[in-house]
Amino acid sequence: MDMVAALFGGLIQVFNWSTFSLMMVGIVVGFVVGILPGLGGPTAMALMLPFVFKMNAVEAFAFLLGMTAVTATTGDITSVLFGVPGEPTTASTIVDGHAMARNGEAGRALGAVLMSSLVGAVFAGVALGVAIPIIRPLVLSFGSPEFFMMAILGISFVAALSGEDALKGIIAGGLGLMLATIGLDPISGIQRYTFGQLFLWDGIGLVPITIGFYAIPETIELAVLGTSIAKQEVGQLGGVMEGVKDTFRHWWLVIRCSALGTFTAIIPGMGAATTQWLAYAHAVQSSPNKERFGKGDVRGVLGPGAANNSTLGGSLITTIAFGVPASVVMAILLGAFIIQGIVPGPDMLLPPPKGKLDLTFSFVWVIIISNFITVAVCFLFLKQLARVTEVRGGIIIPLILILIYLGAFAEKNAFEDMLVVLFFGALGWVLEKLEWPRPPVLLGLVLGPLAENRLFLSTDNYGLAWTHRPGVIAIFALTLFGIFYPIFKNRREERKKAEAQSDDQKKAEASSHGGIHFGATAFFTLAVIAILALALWQSRNFGYRAGLFPWVIGTPTLILAFFQLARDLVGKQKKVRAELVESAEGRVEVAPKLARQRTISIVLWTIGFFLAIWLIGFSYAVPLTIFLYLKFAGNEKWPMTLVVTFFSWLFYWGLFERLLRVPFPDGLLISFITGGQ
Amino acid sequence: MLQVLCVVFVVAGFATAGYGAGVDEFYRGKSVRIVVGFSAGGGFDTYTRAIARHLSKHIPGNPSIVVENMTGAGSLIAANHVYKVAKPDGLTIGHFIGGFFLGQVLGQPGIEFDARKFEFIGAPVSDHVVCALTKASGITSVEKWMASKTPVKMGGLAPGTSTPDNATRILKAALGLPIQLVTGYKGTADVRLAADGGELAGGCWGWDSISVTWRKALDSGDVVVVMQANRKTHPDLPNVPQAIKLAKTEESRRMIDVGIHGDSDIVRTYTLPPGTPKDRVQALRRAFDATLKDPEFVADAKKARLNIDPVAPDEIEKDIAGLFKLDPALVSKLKEVLYN
Repeated sequence: MDMVAALFGGLIQVFNWSTFSLMMVGIVVGFVVGILPGLGGPTAMALMLPFVFKMNAVEAFAFLLGMTAVTATTGDITSVLFGVPGEPTTASTIVDGHAMARNGEAGRALGAVLMSSLVGAVFAGVALGVAIPIIRPLVLSFGSPEFFMMAILGISFVAALSGEDALKGIIAGGLGLMLATIGLDPISGIQRYTFGQLFLWDGIGLVPITIGFYAIPETIELAVLGTSIAKQEVGQLGGVMEGVKDTFRHWWLVIRCSALGTFTAIIPGMGAATTQWLAYAHAVQSSPNKERFGKGDVRGVLGPGAANNSTLGGSLITTIAFGVPASVVMAILLGAFIIQGIVPGPDMLLPPPKGKLDLTFSFVWVIIISNFITVAVCFLFLKQLARVTEVRGGIIIPLILILIYLGAFAEKNAFEDMLVVLFFGALGWVLEKLEWPRPPVLLGLVLGPLAENRLFLSTDNYGLAWTHRPGVIAIFALTLFGIFYPIFKNRREERKKAEAQSDDQKKAEASSHGGIHFGATAFFTLAVIAILALALWQSRNFGYRAGLFPWVIGTPTLILAFFQLARDLVGKQKKVRAELVESAEGRVEVAPKLARQRTISIVLWTIGFFLAIWLIGFSYAVPLTIFLYLKFAGNEKWPMTLVVTFFSWLFYWGLFERLLRVPFPDGLLISFITGGQ
Repeated sequence: MLQVLCVVFVVAGFATAGYGAGVDEFYRGKSVRIVVGFSAGGGFDTYTRAIARHLSKHIPGNPSIVVENMTGAGSLIAANHVYKVAKPDGLTIGHFIGGFFLGQVLGQPGIEFDARKFEFIGAPVSDHVVCALTKASGITSVEKWMASKTPVKMGGLAPGTSTPDNATRILKAALGLPIQLVTGYKGTADVRLAADGGELAGGCWGWDSISVTWRKALDSGDVVVVMQANRKTHPDLPNVPQAIKLAKTEESRRMIDVGIHGDSDIVRTYTLPPGTPKDRVQALRRAFDATLKDPEFVADAKKARLNIDPVAPDEIEKDIAGLFKLDPALVSKLKEVLYN
């Protein structure tokens, strides 16, 4: 009975006028932050934390949770429309969502992503509510060994994320795991691959890598095509309802992905950055016909759309019940708990007067209500939102570039993160061009530290006995099932197909094995081999503890990379090429020479923006670079140039400098001129 | 553009002119930034934000106060920044982990500062290190701990961390306790979770954090504070034995005193870049002291359960100066205990 009273007590608290209006403010901030590429939920939350001092507990969490809850929803919109992740947690909706937008199905993709987001959020809220009585025993039954096995289960999803080329996918996953070893080894304290740079001690941040991986290649693409993002489809937004229907058509997939998001997020270290890819992989793995994935399959939108929203509920469970932050966002939320004088723990799960269950339930309500509001508003303004894609590329590009750098910097106030964005932007572009899958790299990067850490913790705590724990065996079985069942199923299907197929296909394949040729693909693979070999050579000094993981991961990845090199050299890519032409249908074609010119130009601009920020600081670089780009690259008329420059500067100055007071460093030249004063 | 540049020059001119004038005039209309070496939401950040809300009214000229998080390398990036990059004009205050001062003496890698050259404002609280273990582990007293046949599993984060790692290593070496330090947990919250789940027996870190976050288990007796390592016995823990009293040799006592007691005093120090003008150092020290006594701040701190037990700047200076006069034998012993 007390539970029910708390349930409604929580609801009433949310509808207190000051709480509700603060939640609305949070939603507006989250809405904008979610849409803007570069700027992410964690950054916004950290910047908003100081305002929390003046609020009471319910208000504070309505504000912060309202903000966080909607970022994943509106971030999906940016991912679908622009192919640039609105949030690091919405990168996965790009793969099929943006492909759909290009195929003229932007409306359907948006409808699907919004509806599945709502389902995910509601599921998370309900799960959080229902799980309350069993949260503690459930989480306490998980120790380091089970955490380790969950990481392994996650890594096994790489196979499903690799698309058609499993070998490249596994190598990419290995590279991600190797990248994850950069930084101080947490157990021995030995520096691995830090090149003496302090900023690499904590490893490379996921945020700048995701921004670089997806936003930069897409900006280049936009500039090369020289159009607005969408040409043909803006008139056909009628597909929205179709997308909504898709959510119910694939109802069980949406529910499964929601559950996957919520339950994996309970594990500390697994945030939406991971669960979105797991959900995407699951969508691919569990779907009967996979051919359309990556080319605009609505199921590839529904899965991550639901999961990146439902993750919030799961992460909240660990944070509320144990005070253990499951992700970056949760760590900041924990700070808000401290400021409010609330101690997360068993008390949060007991009905008042003994505990604060009504507060916990108010969280549930905030997540659900704020998503309902957001999705409703989005549906109302979907047409206007999609209008953005009609804006000329020449105007959009400089704004995206500035946001990329702002987002990269503001996450940790670290200048070096902008370099990370540039580096991974280049890498992401090469990977995209050479058709290497990018998601496995990200998955390896996120899960690597979790796996390594928990493996050593397991062995230190239990010796080898941890391998016999029932939870470990169960998850291991699940992992094996996940790996072998699809292969099994494929075999059977292929056998059926092979019987039906004639021999000429085989001939065609055989004929593609030509002589040896050394192209860009082979060159890149060679570079991968060289880097892996260097990394392995370096790791000889790490000692057993710190060296084990790089060796165990690096050696097989290196061997597989040699296989890949062999494949590149004999040129086994013709088949893929043929398909590419097919999928490129409906795209705007640009002559190769013009494309090369435009590529060089946009790359120079991208670097130029960075140099400007470095030399004269954000305050001057923002208006200057936007102005120059609009005038000279976009060839905009004077009034347009000035108006866009002024308003983007006003937005930057008002939000970042005045309101948030982000500590932007002075430009190198500026501090030189002013003599360091 | 030209206008903006003009403004910059004018502002720069003011800044230079400010040097000669009084502290009041200098701080008027300016903003003081506090560079915190940890991310938003952590303990260092929360203390700072609570202080920042009230500090302004106690500084002559009432500058605005901005908190800036500069994370990385366990706050070492912020420490090096305050020493090397920040201007010594009294407008930048640093807040990073004070364990680096001992780290410098022991040759911890990555340190690019000389602790003796910083100016110190004070610390809002001195840590109180305790070891808390679960009842389920069977270790509910020092006697039981000493008598344990198997090493007792205690949680750690990373080598070189003041608590739990350094404290646990020192206690193990100084008292000969059967301890297996399992290091690599993400934070003390994860250590707590692992102990609750039975993976670890417990851990040694600040009472100020344990008493709040583990309250329920402490009240029910599921978690017991077995030992403390503080200069003064903590008023909450009158019957919990002091580690230093259990030490048998002078070297052991020195190790506990330097590595745990001394470290606790300086761990939450607020610092100014070397060469900050003396009048501003004094003004900031006075303001810091007044803030900690400000009833409004005390109310905020109470709400957030932040303990206030100020450490005066001269005490901090003395502690740090002491670190550099340590007997070389003790230094090499500490090095061996902490980093091997």
